[in-house]
Amino acid sequence: MDLISHIKNLLLGLGIAGKHLGRHAITIQYPEQRYDIPEGSRGIVVLLSDKETGELNCTACELCMRACPTAAIRIDSHRDENKRKVLDQFIVDNALCCFCGLCEEACNFSALKMATKYEFSTLDKDDLTWDVKKLQEVGLDVDYVDTRKKKKPKPAKPVSDKQASTEPAAPAKDNTETAAEEKPPVADETVADKPADTATEAADTPVAEPQPQPATDVTTPTEPTEEKPPPSPEAPTETPVEKAIPKTEDKKEGDQTDASA
Amino acid sequence: MISPVFAVGELDGLFRWLNELLVSIGLPQPWQDVIMYAALSATVFGLLALIALFLVWWERKIAAHIQQRFGPMRVGWHGWYQTVMDALKLLQKEDIRVATRDKVVFFWAPVICFVAAFSAYVCMPFGRGLIVADLNIGILYIMAVTTFTVISLLMAGWGSNNKYALLGGMRSAAQVISYEVPMVVSLLAVILYVGSLSMVDIVESQSGWFNWFIFRVPFGPIAFVTYTVAAIAEANRTPFDIPEAEQELVAGYNVEYSGMKFAMFFLAEFINMFTVSAIAATVFLGGWNGPWLPSWVWFMGKTLSMVFLLMLVRWTYPRLRVDQLMEFAWKFLVPVTFANLILAGILKYLGYWE
Repeated sequence: MDLISHIKNLLLGLGIAGKHLGRHAITIQYPEQRYDIPEGSRGIVVLLSDKETGELNCTACELCMRACPTAAIRIDSHRDENKRKVLDQFIVDNALCCFCGLCEEACNFSALKMATKYEFSTLDKDDLTWDVKKLQEVGLDVDYVDTRKKKKPKPAKPVSDKQASTEPAAPAKDNTETAAEEKPPVADETVADKPADTATEAADTPVAEPQPQPATDVTTPTEPTEEKPPPSPEAPTETPVEKAIPKTEDKKEGDQTDASA
Repeated sequence: MISPVFAVGELDGLFRWLNELLVSIGLPQPWQDVIMYAALSATVFGLLALIALFLVWWERKIAAHIQQRFGPMRVGWHGWYQTVMDALKLLQKEDIRVATRDKVVFFWAPVICFVAAFSAYVCMPFGRGLIVADLNIGILYIMAVTTFTVISLLMAGWGSNNKYALLGGMRSAAQVISYEVPMVVSLLAVILYVGSLSMVDIVESQSGWFNWFIFRVPFGPIAFVTYTVAAIAEANRTPFDIPEAEQELVAGYNVEYSGMKFAMFFLAEFINMFTVSAIAATVFLGGWNGPWLPSWVWFMGKTLSMVFLLMLVRWTYPRLRVDQLMEFAWKFLVPVTFANLILAGILKYLGYWE
């Protein structure tokens, strides 16, 4: 009886092997067929361009550069005559990148994203260092949700217009630019790697008195859209700032716990 | 003049045509024989080389599809000439010779393995009339010649002066000699019934509808199964591939071989697999007998089905341990095959299913 059951099992094994022989292969032929990476997975860092104008969303705020744990991102910028930061070079060294996604999280302007692309093999290690042109080119067909855009309608609204009335009349686009300009100085002080810059900044800020107000405006775009409709003229200017900071902290903590779990 | 070959539907017309040509030229008899046998050898050798290359490709494909992969896909349609390219690559590779080798033994081992594998086809009936020489001791000759493989594997193991190779060679000798016994005895049951050792006689005794030995006689299926098991061991294939167990001995007896010499071992291995399948097809499955189709198609179909079975077995079962292997051979297969032989003798004496 033992022998019969053994033989039965052997034949069963042969049958299973034969069954698998008839099935289609689950592997794919790579260069001809490609696996569609699910949306939300982290691949190569790309720079995103504005959907209408085609310009880069990046404001050279350098938040991503500071967030990067492996120092894979390097940003070169200079200030133009309006004291606005202008992006000169944005370099990502894909050989250093660890695909953690912290740069994407740090970015407030939908300027960069970890796209679902993964093919950057080359014969030369130096080719892994991508400059701003290459990053923009790769990011052209990457779809993204423009969180930055939510801010644009805001100055157009009557509520924000009242706030804006205190400052010199500025077009909506300028608002975004000043926002970009306002952020870095805070961070600069902590790092203090550009003493000359911070000095000029300190000298500049008292002169341009109306600017602190837009700074509060700037933080709002990072907030969800719910914040926009209710605001009364006075209150929102204070609260969003306070809310914004703890919220981002919460978010980060939540992410960390997720990662550890 | 070549067209009659295909009109007849049997390939032996080609050789008849060659023979007539030689006679019409007026060569003396010895020269006619030499040329005829040279042509036959070249044909069989070329055919077997093609078969071996095809089997390597087929094995890779079957292995891949059992594991739900594709296998070779790049070189040609579904990689059909992948193995041709592999063989060309092996041909032009450096022939690395270990400094501490036993020179003579190291050189001759692959040659003997190759020759032993190919010389079995001297009396292999590929079809009606498609046989190089119908020896009256045909199957005995095949069994005797294919056993030379053991010597070559042992020589390779010894000549390499490598512990893994030597272990592989020793294991191979122990295994093949052990399984030689049940293999020959299970064939003997059929030979006893046919009353002839000639391959052609064995095939012709099975002519007719379902007159194959696997169906005709009660000892046929048992002999077929025991023969198949022993043949897998004889061909050093997976449930019994301890001579080249990759996880234990790096590659077994052929660790130190490279280039052309390795290719000879490799091709000989697949030729051996084809040989044992061809013997099974001839002795148990009726050889070239079959309705409608040409005889050589039947032979190739049966043989390739056996090869397919061997491949399926290889990629299904895990490897046996050495002691399990020996135990299975001596404590199970040998008694079963001898009992089978006695049964065949009794049936023959009583005159059933003649």
